[in-house]
Amino acid sequence: MMLWYKAWLETRSRFLISLFGILIICSGWVLHEDAIASPSQPANWYYFVLHKSHDTLVMLWVLAVSLLMMGGLLREGAVGASDFTLALPVSRARLTRARIGVGFLQAMTLAVIPSVVIFLLACATGKANSVENAAFHLLLLAVGGSVFVAWALLVSTLISGEYTAPAVCLGTVLVVAIAMGDKPLSAWSPLSLLGGEQYLNPNTMMLSGPVPWLRLAVTIMVAAALAWAAVKAVQMKEF
Amino acid sequence: MIDLPAIRTHRLSKWYGRTEAVRELNLSVARNRITGFLGRNGAGKSSTIKMLLGMMRPTSGEGSVLGKKIDDPAQSVEVRKDVAYVSEDKRLYSYMTVEQLIRFTASFYPDWQSDVATSLLRKYELPPDRRVKALSKGMHAKLALLLAFARRPKLLILDEPSAGLDPVGVEQLLEGLVSLCGQGTTVFFSSHQIPEVERIADQVCMIEHGHLVADVSLDEIRQSWRQVDVVFPFEPANLQVTLDGVESVQTRGRQMSLCASGHTDEIVAWARGFEASAIDVAPLGLREVFLKKIGAER
Repeated sequence: MMLWYKAWLETRSRFLISLFGILIICSGWVLHEDAIASPSQPANWYYFVLHKSHDTLVMLWVLAVSLLMMGGLLREGAVGASDFTLALPVSRARLTRARIGVGFLQAMTLAVIPSVVIFLLACATGKANSVENAAFHLLLLAVGGSVFVAWALLVSTLISGEYTAPAVCLGTVLVVAIAMGDKPLSAWSPLSLLGGEQYLNPNTMMLSGPVPWLRLAVTIMVAAALAWAAVKAVQMKEF
Repeated sequence: MIDLPAIRTHRLSKWYGRTEAVRELNLSVARNRITGFLGRNGAGKSSTIKMLLGMMRPTSGEGSVLGKKIDDPAQSVEVRKDVAYVSEDKRLYSYMTVEQLIRFTASFYPDWQSDVATSLLRKYELPPDRRVKALSKGMHAKLALLLAFARRPKLLILDEPSAGLDPVGVEQLLEGLVSLCGQGTTVFFSSHQIPEVERIADQVCMIEHGHLVADVSLDEIRQSWRQVDVVFPFEPANLQVTLDGVESVQTRGRQMSLCASGHTDEIVAWARGFEASAIDVAPLGLREVFLKKIGAER
């Protein structure tokens, strides 16, 4: 349990800054950005309250989890504290599992709290909203986003350096966003899955069609494979 | 039951690419003693220690710590339950407070001595609520030592333990090590500070280019090791010295200096046989022995 406590202490500043930053920016979308909607625009209120807020949340969430998952033994090695950790009577797999556990919990919290706040804020201010759509967006973020958490974890176990690892992690996300931004590749892009646009009615931005369970299941499996690779990388590494 | 060594390595080697850091090292560290591990920078001390603790894998050879294999990850975890390690950097988690770090470390050791931790906290004047990143270098070092001492390990391994400590801190460290050894802990420490090693160590292992060049007790050095300076009536450059106990020989003009690990009387008698005009026998300290052994290896 103390390894989880350590992982929490190590990341809590980044986590709290991310959480409040996301909440402030997404709340701004809900409260103010729908003002620019006009009857001549095809998109309705849902577009601004639910979809645009969600898009902002996705962007900030990927950035936040990429930074949150930085750390671990390689970073400790860069600042000289890895010897202390490695001298503890715990296996490297257990050390990494604690990081994974805390990282996923934080990522889920960063997905759930802003999503709930966006929804409640929309309800409280009389904005149009939809439980189904809100739940669908949350599902995409929490499950589909796991691959970004696992990717950031893997990068942090392969690349040392306080700034190199986050730069590489965010750089690869950017490359994926650009390379897979257009059709037909966008249908397979993990970023487009988070946005969920292909599953929404383009005029109303309301959920149309079935939830992509198969794609979400594949994403979880990819995330699990990346996390497994990260554990193996830590076990193989020499310090 | 045979009292197995606390640390034992057999032809332990470590390569970094084409560089050999540790070369077929045969090391044996006895239990319940203080053993100093001496060597120049880059001699292979830290690499050896990291292999003993499972931080690095040996390229070849084998080793055991407290009877458990160092290259088996599961056994290595078991080893670390009984071993405390203080690294040269003594870097700790900057985001924790002193108290949090003590609580965190204590949770891994069922035999944690809270009274020892409290007493050392006071003795070292460490502020419990201060974040580790706000501690001075000396306080960092003291906190690292506290965390090692309070778990009462069977084996304590330290890499340059006095680095970063002021003279008072060094004194407290040396007292602490002697006291810990008196309570049954085996101490194995690397150092460049020969006076410190000479003061507290029972045994000294010297390493050069990753290879063990001497494994000698301090008592043996005090009792047997001597420098014999001889002035011959001729230049002894071509004189073959094949006497027992001679560790190294240096000649300059008509003078020859022999470093002897024993058999001094025989060496003196040998020198007299060549009608030496002056023979001077002086005891050797650890520093001189270290320099002779390292010099001989080079």
